[in-house]
Amino acid sequence: MNAKSLLRYVLTAAIFTIAALVAIALWRHYMYSPWTRDGRIRADVISVAPDVSGIVVDVPVLENQLVHKGDVLFHIDAERYRIALVQANAAVDARKADYDLKRREAARRATLSGVVVSSESQESSASSASAAAALYQEAQAARDTAALNLQRTEVLAPVDGYVTNLDVHPGDYATAGRALLAVIDSHSFRINGYFEETKLPRLHVGDAVSIHLMSGGPILRGHVESLARGITDRDNPSGPRLLADVNPTFNWVRLAQRVPVRIAFDQIPDGVVLASGMTCTVIVKPHD
Amino acid sequence: MPREIELFGFFMPTLLPMFLLAFGLQWLLDSVLGRLGFYAHVWHPSLFRFSLFVCLFGAMGLFLY
Repeated sequence: MNAKSLLRYVLTAAIFTIAALVAIALWRHYMYSPWTRDGRIRADVISVAPDVSGIVVDVPVLENQLVHKGDVLFHIDAERYRIALVQANAAVDARKADYDLKRREAARRATLSGVVVSSESQESSASSASAAAALYQEAQAARDTAALNLQRTEVLAPVDGYVTNLDVHPGDYATAGRALLAVIDSHSFRINGYFEETKLPRLHVGDAVSIHLMSGGPILRGHVESLARGITDRDNPSGPRLLADVNPTFNWVRLAQRVPVRIAFDQIPDGVVLASGMTCTVIVKPHD
Repeated sequence: MPREIELFGFFMPTLLPMFLLAFGLQWLLDSVLGRLGFYAHVWHPSLFRFSLFVCLFGAMGLFLY
């Protein structure tokens, strides 16, 4: 009877202890293991702007099309720039003729003796030959610029990637420096994982990461590349007259802020479609 | 095992349906143990039941994370 009543206590105490241990383990895993549901796919977005202004005559790419570095994205009407090049070439020829004339004149006068030509005249012809040489060089530079402008009427893809935000059509007027489309660099896909600051101590550069896209599909592999070393202090905007404007916060309840962690893909399997801005769950496996 | 489950566009932690599953399992187990007269060998049946539930739910949760 005594042994039986002891068994009653031991059985209950044992299951209670196991329950407590399991609860603590679950709590630790849930609270401190470095993972986050707040991961975002990111990629470099290059805003493509023409280097010269003009009317767009041809757009050989389609929206969302894959382009390679150096492919033509759109053509700007080159006629004006072709004419400018002809004009610059003509100026080069004129300056060259002038320079040749003055150079020969100066050389001729330099060989004559001081009785026939005054030294003042020798000097002045020599310096006007130098000035003509400088003007000739200036014309050559102007011609190079004109040639470059003509070349830049073809707007090329700066990287391999996907055309997005294609908002340019034949007939549009393109202004130099104003972006008309974006190219998403297809080699630059990565993840920004926004980890709570409480989870950072167990997260190290180089740790293996498994990535679950919200869209499903296979689990992707990656590794921690770097941690952001700064986020904005939201409690410290400076108010008028440069005084501190500190938010009154609760003393008891505080929220963990989130710090971006950059995660590189080890390899992206074929058939997995990534778009910059997609959501994913990021689970870091610490290598203790 | 995915850590969250989608239901009509809402994403919720898998722990939530797991809690319901553990609850159902507990109910089943409880009725079986009761029918076998197991609770006669237990000092504090309510504490035992509660601990059993925590064990079930915790084990499933640990499997998930």
